[in-house]
Amino acid sequence: MSRGSSVSEQTYFVLAALLDGPLHGHAILKRVVELSQDRVKLAVGTLYGALDRLTGSGVIMVEKEEIVNGRKRRYFRITDDGRRLVEEEALRMQQAAAVVTGRTLGATFS
Amino acid sequence: MTATLESPVTSVLERRYRKLLLAYPRPYRQAHGDELLDVLMESTDADRTIPPPREVAGLVAGGIRTRVIHLAGGSVWRDGLHLGVTAVAVANLAALVPYAAAIPLWTALSALSVLAVLRGWVWVAIPLTVAVGVKAVAVAGGWQVAELTQVPVYPGLLTGRALFSDSAPVTVTVAYGLVVVGLLAPAPRGGVTRARSWWWWAAIPFLAWDGPAWMIEEHNLPISLSRMGLELALMAAAAVAGYLTRDLRWALGCAFYLAVTVVGVTLLTLPENGVILSSQHLAYGALLALLTAATALLPLRQRRHALD
Repeated sequence: MSRGSSVSEQTYFVLAALLDGPLHGHAILKRVVELSQDRVKLAVGTLYGALDRLTGSGVIMVEKEEIVNGRKRRYFRITDDGRRLVEEEALRMQQAAAVVTGRTLGATFS
Repeated sequence: MTATLESPVTSVLERRYRKLLLAYPRPYRQAHGDELLDVLMESTDADRTIPPPREVAGLVAGGIRTRVIHLAGGSVWRDGLHLGVTAVAVANLAALVPYAAAIPLWTALSALSVLAVLRGWVWVAIPLTVAVGVKAVAVAGGWQVAELTQVPVYPGLLTGRALFSDSAPVTVTVAYGLVVVGLLAPAPRGGVTRARSWWWWAAIPFLAWDGPAWMIEEHNLPISLSRMGLELALMAAAAVAGYLTRDLRWALGCAFYLAVTVVGVTLLTLPENGVILSSQHLAYGALLALLTAATALLPLRQRRHALD
């Protein structure tokens, strides 16, 4: 994201991926690729670093843990703070985009 | 198609991923290593035996970041001060090491004091530091304390200069005195002094060696390239650690070390000592100050961008 924003593009898409409900790590990776139309592809180490930081900041939390094939799998859920944060960021980007798209449309119809 | 855990091809891949996961600290691996491995295997094409470079970079960077974050536990004040005290204590020992053959008892006691500092044994470290400090100040001043020592003390290895030939007694007093003050300083919120890495011992030859030469040999207060390289590398690492953890303990440690250095040099350059600093001294001092400022400012910048 741009300078002055508090959320990077990667973080934005991780939070957006969780808006529809709790997901585990691999599902988050796939959802981020879908939502960003293949633009953001997170490495697993990068994703878990972000998930640890976001959990520490209280914008996401561990919803539950499951054992699959004898191994632990955590499901992450976005918190109310996280939802508010990503919505504010979306609004900010929408307003920023309107500055340019409005000018472009204005020029088209003038 | 993604890899599964059963096929022989992916077992090679899994083994390689497991090796890469060693970048993470053991407690993190025990808690989440298998979870990361599952996601890695699910995310990687089944026909691959070599992890994609992107995943390798992500795991190495993530592991280093996690290790640094794990280091930032406990009281910031106590741990940051202990970090600075450790650096100065190691530098004090390194100053004696080239003369170990001439003053074996005091070098050994200094090494014991560093061991006590590293292990966090405050009440063992303080008397040892005081004892070695008193002797060191006496040698710097040409006085006899505790046992007869012929001064100047000539080196056996690593340097060609006599012990404390560049240091006034007051400078040595500051170097040892601030270690004791740092060890005695109470932590506002309590907490214990934790043990530090054994890697600190590896710093001693770099600090003790007076080469490769960078300054004119005849100049007062020569600084060797080996010492410069180590100090700059450690302070840069501290700045990165501050950036990653948004924690001020690294800044506190660097500021303590810098303060001892600056106060020592300032005392040496008082008019009666006749020492004049060169532009190289000033440039190097400015660089250390800049890195110390970075260790303090980067965590603050990162706190405003708390999610990244």
